[in-house]
Amino acid sequence: MSLNIAVIIKLEPDFSDGNVSYNPDGTLNRAETKTILGHHSAIASQAAFYAKVKYGARICIGTMGPPMADLALEQSLLLSDAEELHLYSDRSFAGADTLSTAEVLKTGISKMNDGKAMDIVFSGFRASDGETGQTGPQTAWKLGFTFLGNVISYEIDIEKRVITALRLISYGNNSLIEQVQAPLPVFIAIDPSYKSPFITVSQRLSASRYQKEAMIRSRNYKSLLKIFNAKELGVDPKLVGLPGSPTIVYKVEKIPKIKSNRSAQTVENIDPNNISNILEKIHETIA
Amino acid sequence: MEQFDVVIVGGGSAGLAALKHLSSKGIQSVLMEAGSTVGTKNVSGGILYSKNPQTGKVYNVDEIFENFLQEKPWERQITKYILNCVSKDKVLSIDLTDSHEYQSNFGCSVLLNKLNSWFAKQSLEVAERNGGGIVNGVHVRNISWDEEKGKTIIQTDELDDFEAKAIIASDGVNSEVAEITGARKKFSPPELYQGVKVVVKLPEEIIEERFDLSPGEGTAHIFAGDVTLGHIGGGFLYTNIDSLSAGVVYHYDSLISNPMGPNNLVNALLNNPFVKEYIKDEVALEPYPDKSLSKMEQLRIKFAVNKLIKRWEKLRFEYYSHEGKKRFLDDKEFNSIEDVKSKMDAIHKELLEKYNTRFETDYVELEYSTKLIPDGKRCRMKKPYIKNILFIGDAAGRGLFIGPRIEGLNVGIDDAVRASNAIKQALEKNNLDVASNYLGELYSQSVQESPYTMDMERIDKYYIKTIIDTAGKQIPSQKIGKYRLLFRLFQNDKLRNISIDIVNKIGYNNMLSLIESEETYIHTPINIAAKLGTKTISEYSLSIPELSQRISNLSYNDDPQSHIKIINPRSEFMKKMVTLCPTKCYSLEGEDVVLQHEGCIECGTCSPETEWRHPRGEKGIQYKYG
Ligand SMILES: Cc1cc2nc3c(=O)[nH]c(=O)nc-3n(C[C@H](O)[C@H](O)[C@H](O)COP(=O)(O)OP(=O)(O)OC[C@H]3O[C@@H](n4cnc5c(N)ncnc54)[C@H](O)[C@@H]3O)c2cc1C
Ligand code: SF4
Repeated sequence: MSLNIAVIIKLEPDFSDGNVSYNPDGTLNRAETKTILGHHSAIASQAAFYAKVKYGARICIGTMGPPMADLALEQSLLLSDAEELHLYSDRSFAGADTLSTAEVLKTGISKMNDGKAMDIVFSGFRASDGETGQTGPQTAWKLGFTFLGNVISYEIDIEKRVITALRLISYGNNSLIEQVQAPLPVFIAIDPSYKSPFITVSQRLSASRYQKEAMIRSRNYKSLLKIFNAKELGVDPKLVGLPGSPTIVYKVEKIPKIKSNRSAQTVENIDPNNISNILEKIHETIA
Repeated sequence: MEQFDVVIVGGGSAGLAALKHLSSKGIQSVLMEAGSTVGTKNVSGGILYSKNPQTGKVYNVDEIFENFLQEKPWERQITKYILNCVSKDKVLSIDLTDSHEYQSNFGCSVLLNKLNSWFAKQSLEVAERNGGGIVNGVHVRNISWDEEKGKTIIQTDELDDFEAKAIIASDGVNSEVAEITGARKKFSPPELYQGVKVVVKLPEEIIEERFDLSPGEGTAHIFAGDVTLGHIGGGFLYTNIDSLSAGVVYHYDSLISNPMGPNNLVNALLNNPFVKEYIKDEVALEPYPDKSLSKMEQLRIKFAVNKLIKRWEKLRFEYYSHEGKKRFLDDKEFNSIEDVKSKMDAIHKELLEKYNTRFETDYVELEYSTKLIPDGKRCRMKKPYIKNILFIGDAAGRGLFIGPRIEGLNVGIDDAVRASNAIKQALEKNNLDVASNYLGELYSQSVQESPYTMDMERIDKYYIKTIIDTAGKQIPSQKIGKYRLLFRLFQNDKLRNISIDIVNKIGYNNMLSLIESEETYIHTPINIAAKLGTKTISEYSLSIPELSQRISNLSYNDDPQSHIKIINPRSEFMKKMVTLCPTKCYSLEGEDVVLQHEGCIECGTCSPETEWRHPRGEKGIQYKYG
């Protein structure tokens, strides 16, 4: 039985050393900043790749963004060996918040693989450029899929069409792993700690075969690329872009630095007298 | 449990040659490599030879990898081979090209990361056709046999267990497979050399001009005399395309009796005036910031200077490279090569005049590495197998290190083909029964027939004659001291044959301590250089990086789990490790030697008396050049 998978990804500023540029008001200078496939989107692509290696899944990647976002699609293809790439690009999508982005993505997903139903949709944990981790859950809600967040591993019973996933749940300083089962289709927001568990020689061999295939495919990725504008996608103009966004970025503020008005005393060596002095000071403070 | 026909442990050049050869014979073969990608854990000098022996057949790299010469995964074809006898600033250079060409088709300089990646690509294409391939980032931990069920089970740190019908152990000098299976004891210091190398950056055309070479052509220099700081062994300086490999190789025994930090040993070679003149380059130094300026302005200048220096270095490297020149014009970035030169000069001027950047004569080091090397004359496995496991290359202790003859890569490739052929035959006969030793004996016999084995067992009089003839042309026999008589003897055909026959009867092994002595490697070369050498004056001083800097320039994938355990922290051997570990991983705390292991480059120097394993898959050192 075949498995259809979608991955939704995002082009993001490359926050690695030396690649980010800010405007004088502290906002990101997008024109000067290099962009790449977001870190969490990369992990989502890898999670989808696991299903390709293990279950022979067919993968389609989608993103909403400017025309140059096809760069992120290419990078995601390299990680997942996807067969189809979707770019949803239209001026009317500008100013989209998470909800209207979810509307575009939901509609795009319904067009993937000639409109065949998806079994799993993967998204990253969140985007690194100020997003709140809402697009994934909202897309899942719009699709009507069961949502599984913080997934760190998963296995599928293809016959029964049931997925068993482990989720990393954090509360306070503690975390625990929860095992859940759900019938397909599901929407998975992958946890940043996810690592593909290729634990047999055959899986490793097919993974490397697919990676090679992905390299070849990526050289010609434009032939796999389908670009949709709002009309081609058939979205309701009231539900996308600014009109479809109940929230808006009102203001960006720099996180203020903590004022340093503390004075420090340097203790040069580990002389027992010095240590007992330190301890005394600590006691005083606590008291 | 998954089963494969052949599993190869270790993706150095030997293992990769086995993968290619087995696969091209239609045999399903899977190679396991501990490094995150093939090539990141391998180190060589290195010159890779293709040989053409007068008697017998060896399997060469260009035969196994058919497009080796056309696709050029190597650096330069070595056409000049020079032995330098050194005494302080005096050097006598003796042209030993004849001995380098002795029974050779060609010899080329190589950097193992590049070479092995190419081998991997070639092998993988064929291996995949038979359901095989390469699995990176996997450390083979154990091999066991269930003889009742006729199973050979391989365990790794990363994967589910799997089975193999036959195994090729190409896991290098510190072979864990050999140890786990009891196939041989760990190599001991008398059986080993320690090799230390640095890769030095230098533009392509400057190399050609300095070494007097045509494009693509290369030179190899080897060194004996006082550069060894009293150790038995020698130094080398090989030309790559746009870098040089400079290093030293010393008998482990000699290092044990006079411990000295490998870092300092390679520095002694670099600091020799003759070598200094070859490695020097123009280096831009960032100016100190003008403290009177605001912090913001200082930062702005720092970024600007940094960017300009990088741009200048890149332009310069491309400008002095044949391909780079082509790229400039193809990319249409510049209208002519003169434009590139003008741009380079303009940046140079700007850096000098506007930003007070200093340009100095110095050298640029790219990578520091160390590894043990098995001395095939002393440690070659007489039976290179156990049950259905065949040992090849360094894992089998095979390497030809005889005076200026330094060959391990080609020997490993020859072994790989012999092992593959034996497996093919045993599979055809359906005789891989571990109790019968059919496979092992087949391989053992083939290895015994290899001309390389003969070279490890006996002195080759023709080879010696080549060296003595060339050396004799340059050195009057009265200057050779103790070796005068020997020279005379060798120049006479009849006497040479008789004397070599006698030596071979006495046994190579019994003669080695005489041949490989301080007299040969240190005193005589010093005398010759002192009497006949030419003085080299080098007036700049090298800024050799501190060891800590060398280590921090390396890439690691750290593993909090130590792969080394000290057996006896108070042994004399471990105390020597405090000096002999190339990355100073050991220190003495009171009476005990303790291991920090942060900078471990997995050279194996401490392995003779530690519980030594390779780190888990993908962990540890990741060389960029090798
Ligand atoms: C300084 C120096 C100079 C030299 N000069 C020359 C020269 O000029 N010419 C020449 O021909 N030779 C030279 N040699 C020797 C030559 O480099 C070696 O003989 C050759 O590289 C050995 O190849 P190999 O494939 O047998 O082993 P290696 O290259 O050591 O490969 C072994 C591989 O096995 C992997 N491995 C080990 N254990 C495991 C495990 N348990 N599981 C999975 N993987 C594992 C390692 O990661 C490694 O990649 C020189 C060596 C040195 C150090
Ligand atoms: S600790 Fe590592 S680097 Fe040091 S001698 Fe041992 S193997 Fe070599």
